[in-house]
Amino acid sequence: MKSLPFRWQLTLFIVLICGLTLALAFAGLYLYNVQQFNNEVQRRLDRTKNVLLDSLTVALAQKPNATDLPLKLLEADAQISAAAVYSAENQLLARYIRPGSNEVVPPVPSVSARLLSNDRAVVWTQIRSPKGTFLGTLFLKAELSQADVEQFSDLLRGSAIVFLASSLLAFVAAYRLQRHITRPIVELAAVSANVQNTRDYGVRVSSAASGEIGVLINSFNAMLDTIQTNTTALDLARIAAEDAKEKIHQANDQLEEANRTLEARVEERTRLLVKASRDAEEASKAKSSFLAKMSHELRTPLNAIIGYSEIMKEDAEDDGDARRAADLDKVLNAARHLLGLINDVLDISKIEAGKMELYLENFELQKVLNEVVATATPLVAKKGNTLKIECPPDIGSMHADATKLRQMLLNLMSNASKFTENGTITIRASRRPAANTDMIEVAVIDTGIGMNDEQLGRLFKAFSQADASTASKYGGTGLGLAISKQFAQMMKGDITVASTPNVGSTFTIRLPADVDVKQPSVVGTSEQRLTKSPFPTEGSKPRVLIIDDDENVLTLLSKLLQKSGYLTTTAETGEKGLKFALEEKPDIVILDVMLPGIDGWTVLTKLQGHRETAEIPVIVLTAGHEVDMALSLGAGSVLRKPVDASRLTAEIAMQLNPTASGYVLIIEDDHDARDIVIRMLERENYKFRAATNGNAALRILKKSRPGIILLDLKMPGMNGFEFLEILGQHPEWGKIPIVVVSSMDITAEMRDYLKTRVVAILQKSKFNRDDLNALIRPVLQT
Amino acid sequence: MPRILLVEDNEMNRDMLSRRLEKRGYTLSIAVDGGVGVALARSEKPDLILMDMSLPVIDGWEATKQLKADPETAKIPIIALTAHAMDSDRQKAIDAGCDDFDTKPVELTRLLGKIEELLKKFPPKA
Repeated sequence: MKSLPFRWQLTLFIVLICGLTLALAFAGLYLYNVQQFNNEVQRRLDRTKNVLLDSLTVALAQKPNATDLPLKLLEADAQISAAAVYSAENQLLARYIRPGSNEVVPPVPSVSARLLSNDRAVVWTQIRSPKGTFLGTLFLKAELSQADVEQFSDLLRGSAIVFLASSLLAFVAAYRLQRHITRPIVELAAVSANVQNTRDYGVRVSSAASGEIGVLINSFNAMLDTIQTNTTALDLARIAAEDAKEKIHQANDQLEEANRTLEARVEERTRLLVKASRDAEEASKAKSSFLAKMSHELRTPLNAIIGYSEIMKEDAEDDGDARRAADLDKVLNAARHLLGLINDVLDISKIEAGKMELYLENFELQKVLNEVVATATPLVAKKGNTLKIECPPDIGSMHADATKLRQMLLNLMSNASKFTENGTITIRASRRPAANTDMIEVAVIDTGIGMNDEQLGRLFKAFSQADASTASKYGGTGLGLAISKQFAQMMKGDITVASTPNVGSTFTIRLPADVDVKQPSVVGTSEQRLTKSPFPTEGSKPRVLIIDDDENVLTLLSKLLQKSGYLTTTAETGEKGLKFALEEKPDIVILDVMLPGIDGWTVLTKLQGHRETAEIPVIVLTAGHEVDMALSLGAGSVLRKPVDASRLTAEIAMQLNPTASGYVLIIEDDHDARDIVIRMLERENYKFRAATNGNAALRILKKSRPGIILLDLKMPGMNGFEFLEILGQHPEWGKIPIVVVSSMDITAEMRDYLKTRVVAILQKSKFNRDDLNALIRPVLQT
Repeated sequence: MPRILLVEDNEMNRDMLSRRLEKRGYTLSIAVDGGVGVALARSEKPDLILMDMSLPVIDGWEATKQLKADPETAKIPIIALTAHAMDSDRQKAIDAGCDDFDTKPVELTRLLGKIEELLKKFPPKA
């Protein structure tokens, strides 16, 4: 059944129902007819029996056991197939068998058997006289007459015809009518099969139907609609996803490519930077050697001029030619002046190139003072000045650069002589005991024109004399004091000045009696000043890797850091440092840039470039000024050598636990501008970190959150505006207050843009420490 | 009269210094390079040597080292003449064994003082 199409199922079903109904109807009819017929037969049988009984009663009453009984009469009744009459003693008296029939006459059954028999075509009845005397028994048996049989056959035939005709009609009607019902369902089935096979959700069931099927079709169509919509959306989404996947692949490829390029570029940049650094060193060396050579080249002819002038002057004096001697004296003075100028320029160049060296020796201060006085006496006497020397006899010896001290003293005395007329120039020396080494003070005191505060301010600056007009009046390069001050500072001393206009000036050279220029490699080591580790408990102590070729630094820093609550590993070469960094994954690296073999820059680049070490913060130690380079190569921060242990430990703690306290992030590419701000911050004791552009700043931001950002706008790489854009896309950074510090002309448009993003705009060099402080303090103190 | 060996390659410097020293009564021998300087020092045994440092053939430092290593000449005081403010040169001169140094251009009075001081310390024989 199940394999039959639905319409055939339905047709068959209807026909079956019809057949069944008709069959039941006909069966009922038939049974009714049979009943009617049987009743008729019974009635006829009864009538025949009564008629027969009347005649038999009479006959038997007259003559019991008569055998000539009128059974022949029964031939008129076609229904009776057999009849018999039994005597009261159950002796067969007469019998009748319809001709052609093969009936037999049975014996008289017992009364009970007769009562129990329900054969309606058989009648057993007692013949009794009107008085009720039992005369005998009558047996009658009826059977269907030919007419009856024909009547039955007609009935059956008619019924069969009606049945067949009805069935056919039912079939035709069902077949025709079922279409109305099945067509929508069949189409529904076909469409759903089609959908199942082809996954074409665009088809629809077009047949209309009423009732539940209509609802079904509508629902099915609606479902297809939904599926189609969803499938379309799904397809679009899949296409989009595939597109996206493709794009991701491409992006990945590009990223890999970019990574490779970046690595290559970083290497290239590092190489260039290192080269630039070396070039600069080379250039500096070349400059130095040029200066040395020039000094020789300039001095050789000058020496000849001075030397021969002296010889000629001596000869003239010997000859008593006073005029020529005086002329030659002028040549000599001019030549000596020129030599002095050349020496000054060469000195200042050397100082600026950092190439000025000290020649430390032990000498008697008294002796040097005497030499200087001897040299300066003619100079002092020129303008009618008196020279006084006040030096305690027990001033003793000192360890310093005597030549430079001589030069400094001569310079001060020459200045004093220049600006004093008919006055007194005093040299006053003294020794002042101090903690580590005694201090030697030599003051040059004049009673000259003196200076006001403004002039004093510019005094020690190279290429600037107290007054522009001074140069023309008094001569000189104005370099002497700058050089002298530098010399004093090189020897860990200083030159100070006190002056009152029209009263005079006092220049004081202050030097350690025992000059020791060997710089300690680590300073600020007192334990109270060290910042303790943020995680000082055993088992959670951060590990610090120190890479430095100086054994002393390694030992000392290890000791100090262990005291501060860190575990330490040391490496004396870049190779070892890289190896340890990969093996131990320290929490932080302290890296000296001057290393034998692989230098610190290369180590830094490799640490930053390696996936496993890129996140480790690196604190760079440098003796030079390569802050920009270090930051651009990814250093977490840069500290100058000698290492200040208190600053180093503070920096380590901040790098490891940056959220513990806020810091100021300075984003500024210009070294000088950055330095100014840093100095202001240092004075206020703010913690800070610096980045040279937006990219570098983002690197810092990813690791720690600053309390406030000072942002320059014009920078190479990622500029301030781009940086603000990126910051705006990260809600977690959105709340960091930003102060723009720029030298740009801020247009109204820019101001509008910045207004919503920054808390203040400061013009470079037009703000002071208080302005900055007012912005930073509220943020960092909350 | 004390005999001084002047080792100096620059002709003018040599001429000036020798003339001025001779005028003050010293007897001068002249060498124009380090090699000649060492040879003359060995053959003439001067009372004092004024040694320029940047010299051809062998430089002043090397010449000084050779002379100071030779017992025959080790006792002869040597004054190094170095360029102005070249402190490293000066240190090298002391390291090579020079007894004193002075800078060029020569300031005669100062140089004479140094010469006399050294001659007092290492008095000429006979």
